[in-house]
Amino acid sequence: MTQATPRTPRSAIAAHPVTSAAIAILVAADIFAVLYVPLYARVTPRWGDFPFFYWYLLIIMPVSSLALWLAAFLQRRLTVPAPVSEAGREDAR
Amino acid sequence: MSNVNATTFTIVVVLFVIVTGIGFIAARWRRADSMMHLDEWGLGGRGFGTFITWFLLGGDLYTAYTFIAVPALVFGSGSIGFYAVAYTIMVFPVVFIFLPRLWSVSRVHGYVTPADFIRGRYGSRGLALAAAFTGILALMPYIALQLVGIQAVLTVMGVGASSANTFVKDLPLFIAFLVLAIFTYFSGLRAPALIAFVKDTLIYLFVLVAVFYIPTRLGGWGHIFGTAQAHFAAVSPTTGKPLGTFVPAAASRGSTRLDFASLALGSAVALFLYPHAITGTLAARHRRAVKRNMIYLPLYSVLLALIALFGYMAVADPVTAANVKQTGNAQLAVPYLFQHMFPSWFTGIAFAGIIIGALVPAAIMSIAAANLFTKNVYTELIKRDASPEHQTRVAQWVSLVVKAGALLFAVELPHTFSINLQLLGGIWILQLGPMLIGGLFTRWFHRWALLAGWLAGMAFGTLAAYNVASPAASHWAGSSDIEFGHTVYIGLSALAINLVIAIVLTPALKAVRAPQGTDETLPHQYTADPEDAPAPAPAGVGAQPAG
Repeated sequence: MTQATPRTPRSAIAAHPVTSAAIAILVAADIFAVLYVPLYARVTPRWGDFPFFYWYLLIIMPVSSLALWLAAFLQRRLTVPAPVSEAGREDAR
Repeated sequence: MSNVNATTFTIVVVLFVIVTGIGFIAARWRRADSMMHLDEWGLGGRGFGTFITWFLLGGDLYTAYTFIAVPALVFGSGSIGFYAVAYTIMVFPVVFIFLPRLWSVSRVHGYVTPADFIRGRYGSRGLALAAAFTGILALMPYIALQLVGIQAVLTVMGVGASSANTFVKDLPLFIAFLVLAIFTYFSGLRAPALIAFVKDTLIYLFVLVAVFYIPTRLGGWGHIFGTAQAHFAAVSPTTGKPLGTFVPAAASRGSTRLDFASLALGSAVALFLYPHAITGTLAARHRRAVKRNMIYLPLYSVLLALIALFGYMAVADPVTAANVKQTGNAQLAVPYLFQHMFPSWFTGIAFAGIIIGALVPAAIMSIAAANLFTKNVYTELIKRDASPEHQTRVAQWVSLVVKAGALLFAVELPHTFSINLQLLGGIWILQLGPMLIGGLFTRWFHRWALLAGWLAGMAFGTLAAYNVASPAASHWAGSSDIEFGHTVYIGLSALAINLVIAIVLTPALKAVRAPQGTDETLPHQYTADPEDAPAPAPAGVGAQPAG
């Protein structure tokens, strides 16, 4: 791809570095929390009768959802310097 | 049919008839001017909001086969079966990264299938054909497995199971599939979308009742987990190894952690490369409906985790364990468990939930396969000027053919064969990763390099899966093999090979100035959200956006 032509709007990432980093960290942490199995492949501590491995997987679901909700919320703030230019509206007709 | 429970059977039949009615009514639901357009028949008019999309995708991804096979794996091998739970958690952050982009660009350009996007992005018919071929190939056994799920339930119900005649034995299955085929033919994607409401109500109902009720019959969760832990630690006399693992084991005891993690990651990436998942996504009306579903869909994962625990309940219930052992088929674990634990009327509700739970994804998968064939094979190679109406007609017939093929699979071939093919399907579909996910972010890859990588990944994945042996089978024994001393999901190692080849060949092909193909997409179209824009008119693949 060639260098920024006038048509290309300023990148949302460049405009909001902190928010973008927060989104990236949220999504990456979400994946890591399940992908890194040694984190939860254990029997103790139990919660009630549930071994750790099993209740961790159940608890991480709402946590993961919440993190994604937060990421989506932050993403909405990214789109303020709307990259939807006149070309975008043309395509949508 | 001597040992059929009349109450169970009646409830299953009644619910099935209700669902059939809904399937036909669906043709009128949110009726468009004409059904004879792939956007209507194949994508339900691209008008589903967050709520309907949630049911549609939930019904699409969490299939009846999952509900049978995951607890079966847990019943047989213990904690490794929970990879399915881990993967359905991980899948949403993973697809959060790329799925909204796919929705946007597909909406702007009117793409119906993932192969449409590949065609438009790389200007390559060959690559699109490869993607369509892979998609159809991976979907066929998946549909067949939905039938296997129905068969498991019918077997435990005792319907026709005693007959030696294949036709009589599978007659209920034929009827179920005939009905499914007919309402899909007429109603398209609207039918599974509407039926998904019924399916999920039934499944949420019986799963919630089961997780609270069954433990009270089995001495509580403590007893269930305790029995499972002791059971899987016991050493098998035939292999000399433990029967399974209660939590994924560390390296010192034959690591299953990497296997667990790679299976989960591979499956998570693969899930939304499957054409039926993309079909469900593209049917959404807004970009935000897609994003919100990444947030709300994990509710189904809770359900799946609970269903996976049924595997341990089956271990802890001596009667169920004995029944399964007698038939030698772990897939019957959940149906037997319900039959033994629940009063017959509630068993009927649960069984109906599973059967209907098979019809929804089977319908969406056959529609996805039909869309792929019509848009990327038929219109591309056979009749380039096919009108939207003609295309829809073709897709309707293809959906019938696909289902007939799947039925043949399920009835004629041993079930292990379908399961192996489905494992292979996951490995195959992952090979679309570089061209599809890669293409959503960059046009750096050269189309021929992607094609070469795809070919290498497919070949390696198939061969590696063929060579997996176990004490029970000399080939196709699983989907993991040993790479550099670690047990890894073959899909991921094949994907790595695929990616390396694509990365190495791209600069080489660019250096010799091999034609790059035209890219009809523009950067901003990947984040576009054309609010309530009418579905774009161009029916042909690769139509230019009229600017």
